[in-house]
Amino acid sequence: MPDGQPVVFVVDDDPSVRDGLDSLFRSVGYAVATFGSVQAFSLHRRPDRPSCLVLDVRMPGPSGMDFQAELAGMGDPIPIVFLTGHGDVPMAVRAMKSGAVEFLLKPFREQDLLDAVRAAIERDRARRSEEAALTELRARFTSLSAREKEIMAFVVVGRLNKQIAGELQLSEVTVKVHRGQVMRKMGAATLAELISFASKLAR
Amino acid sequence: MLNPKRFRLGRTGIGLCLALLAGVIFVADTYTDLEIAVAVLYVAVILVSVRFDRPALVLWVGGASAGLTILSYLLTPRGAQHAGLVNCLLSLVAIGATTYLVLRAEAAEARTREAGAELAHMSRVTMMGELTASIAHEVSQPLAGIVANGNAALRWLAATPPDAAEARRALERVVADADRAGDVIGRVRRMVAKAPPSRELVDVADLVENVLSLVRSEIRKGQVVLRTDLADNMPPVFADRVQLQQVVLNLVVNAAEALGQQETGPRDILVGAATDGMTITVSVRDSGMSLAPAAIEKVFDAFHSTKPGGMGMGLAISRSIVEAHGGAIYAAANPPRGMVFGFTLPTGGTGSDWSHA
Repeated sequence: MPDGQPVVFVVDDDPSVRDGLDSLFRSVGYAVATFGSVQAFSLHRRPDRPSCLVLDVRMPGPSGMDFQAELAGMGDPIPIVFLTGHGDVPMAVRAMKSGAVEFLLKPFREQDLLDAVRAAIERDRARRSEEAALTELRARFTSLSAREKEIMAFVVVGRLNKQIAGELQLSEVTVKVHRGQVMRKMGAATLAELISFASKLAR
Repeated sequence: MLNPKRFRLGRTGIGLCLALLAGVIFVADTYTDLEIAVAVLYVAVILVSVRFDRPALVLWVGGASAGLTILSYLLTPRGAQHAGLVNCLLSLVAIGATTYLVLRAEAAEARTREAGAELAHMSRVTMMGELTASIAHEVSQPLAGIVANGNAALRWLAATPPDAAEARRALERVVADADRAGDVIGRVRRMVAKAPPSRELVDVADLVENVLSLVRSEIRKGQVVLRTDLADNMPPVFADRVQLQQVVLNLVVNAAEALGQQETGPRDILVGAATDGMTITVSVRDSGMSLAPAAIEKVFDAFHSTKPGGMGMGLAISRSIVEAHGGAIYAAANPPRGMVFGFTLPTGGTGSDWSHA
């Protein structure tokens, strides 16, 4: 498994379906790990890479739907593609509302499945890069001094230097210097960029 | 029907006896005085002819009896003409009435048999309806495997360089899955066939496994744990495979439904088969509610159901099937909880009459 190669996790209690999906996903260049039950998958330590979960709805033990709820409860964001031998509309609606990428009936069309998995991986990749960016932003924000954080809070709500100086009992020049530091440390080229960083941090 | 050849000889034997009997009556009727109404005895010939199960034959025998009666009347040399005529007419009435009644009874019986077969088929079809979902799952599973493996094989072959080993493994799984789907369809086909009862040597353990493979996923859906305890090397039974499948299916589906009704407690079904050499016992134990002894007595009655919406036919039909095979069906509490339903069958074609099951 080359580093960064996307991983598809397959959970299906049918060994033949499992092996088939394993072979299919490997043939299109994904890394694959298969499991016979959700318990086995839960115990697995997942690598830090873009990934998605192809999950059979009906299995002995907790069902795929139950497991989706469990993952959501734990805050696990892995995108899920459901496969089922016989699903009904309410089941599909419930799965999609709970954030599933796709709900496919067995026997599925290969292209539908591959499209769904690609979309799921993309979703995970986007989430990961967003998360990485946010982590970076948080690190930058932590590097600000207490005074700089204070001034940034005023800047991003549109206060002028003069107003900030008045509020904080500082000279305008001092505010200007701190403001320059904030822009530099946060890596913001423009005020608009700084405001967007601030709103991401506040989320 | 165990030995068709012997049976045919038996029928021919009866036919010869009938002809002989008719001849004896004719001779006696002709040579006795006109006052002695020997011709009434033709009734016996008509009654015996019913055993051939052919209305046309009964009609023919009745007509022949009437003809012989008149011939005897004309040929008889001695006796009072007047009494002879009355006796002859009385005999003709008796023969006519008997023929008519026998034919009616026969027709009614045929209708009952047909209705029974129809009902058995209907209940089988109803059960199939309930199982369609389960079967769809059983078939879609191998099909999903075929789709995945087949496409994988194409991709492995199209890769540069082609990976023949991977492609071969995928194709082997395609073949295995296709066989698996074919098996499911074969089982379903055998199950819905409206076949007349046919007897063959049946491996009970194999039959039970077959039925369970059809319902397994349906049962699993109810979070029920299904276990089996099937003895090895059991002697075969001489039975109608489809009918026996129906009985096993019935008992298992009943157990699963009983467990589905309960909110708490373990959900286990244990399907067992054992033998003492003379008989084979198949039992289905569940961990649901136990029925009261009074209720247990009634479970096999027609139109008696403990299930909401149940028709109350399943166990009644099962009982008639098992009894037609010379076996017995039973129900009992399964301490500490739940019920056990089961049936016994004689092993190896210890012939019992079951021609109209």
